[in-house]
Amino acid sequence: MEMDSNETQPKVVVSSPARRISLRQMTLSDVDHYMVWATDAKVAQFCSWEPCTSREEAITYITDSVLTHPWLRAICLEDDRPIGYILIMAVDDIRKEIGYVLARKYWGKGFATEAVRLVTAEIFKEMPEIERLEALVDVDNMGSQRVLEKVGFTREGVMRNLIIMKGSVRDMVMFSFLPSDPLK
Amino acid sequence: MEIDSCTLKAVSSSPSEKIHLRPMTLSDIDDFMVWATDINVTRFCTWEPCTSREAGIAYINSFVLPHPWLRAICLDDDRAIGSISVTPVDSIRGEIGYVIGSKYWGKGIATEAVRLVAAEIFKEKPEMERLEALVDVDNIGSQKVLEKVGFVREGVMRKFMCLKGNVRDMVMFSFLPSDSLL
Repeated sequence: MEMDSNETQPKVVVSSPARRISLRQMTLSDVDHYMVWATDAKVAQFCSWEPCTSREEAITYITDSVLTHPWLRAICLEDDRPIGYILIMAVDDIRKEIGYVLARKYWGKGFATEAVRLVTAEIFKEMPEIERLEALVDVDNMGSQRVLEKVGFTREGVMRNLIIMKGSVRDMVMFSFLPSDPLK
Repeated sequence: MEIDSCTLKAVSSSPSEKIHLRPMTLSDIDDFMVWATDINVTRFCTWEPCTSREAGIAYINSFVLPHPWLRAICLDDDRAIGSISVTPVDSIRGEIGYVIGSKYWGKGIATEAVRLVAAEIFKEKPEMERLEALVDVDNIGSQKVLEKVGFVREGVMRKFMCLKGNVRDMVMFSFLPSDSLL
């Protein structure tokens, strides 16, 4: 599976073995699909952002934050329809953090697990300097904790009072995956 | 324990050693050199041993004096035998770090210094929600210090940071304003 980030066309570049989902660059033409999850308060519950309130706001956000992101991929169904996205953020020279969001209609079907597994399988080849891929999940976000456990991330512990999320101080569970770890 | 804005005093758990904390100054340079040149002391620090008095002075000027919260750990004679600091990680998190001259290890001094800071820092910084410490997995002595004070051992963060060219596993500890000191 190749990961190719320099094309102008959003071609399908990575597919899961079951062929259920694929990852590709997002574009402005994805805005209406983006709105489906971005306006949903349940989806936004454990995210740092507030639900999106207008198509104009969505276009601005996609232009300013999504298209400029160093590593962000739409999670697409077989018909190339985005149902969420997954991204990698640099923490420092050796650590990267993974994050993902999925429209609520597609929760509970293993799509996020597939997307995380796909990215985890490839990211260390694409970024050989990474020593550690980590994820921080709200203690109450059981669904997202299950995703990481199913892929084979190690649950390292609960970091208490770690971040302020929408005005509240939250405990977060730290997970990690190393290049030497086996994928489940 | 009486506290004024700059000096924190306490009797340490070991009967012979009474310590207090105060700001460091350039006049501490010779005492600073005692621990800063000691390879046993710097083993789990990100910095290499200091190689000259001039380098020591430069370090005190560029790092110690401008630090937002750093104190010399002193015995009765007010001579510095180490230092302790709280460095902001972000608006709600501070990271504690400490270093003691090896001659003074094993006497409960670091434990007392950390206890003093954990007891007072949240009053001084009411916005702080979390005081944390990252300790190399092999640095058992420092892990014991934090456990004795009452820090919670949250877990081992694997391949967490680069120490002198090696990627190390680090133990994460935290102490919250609501936690009890031991």
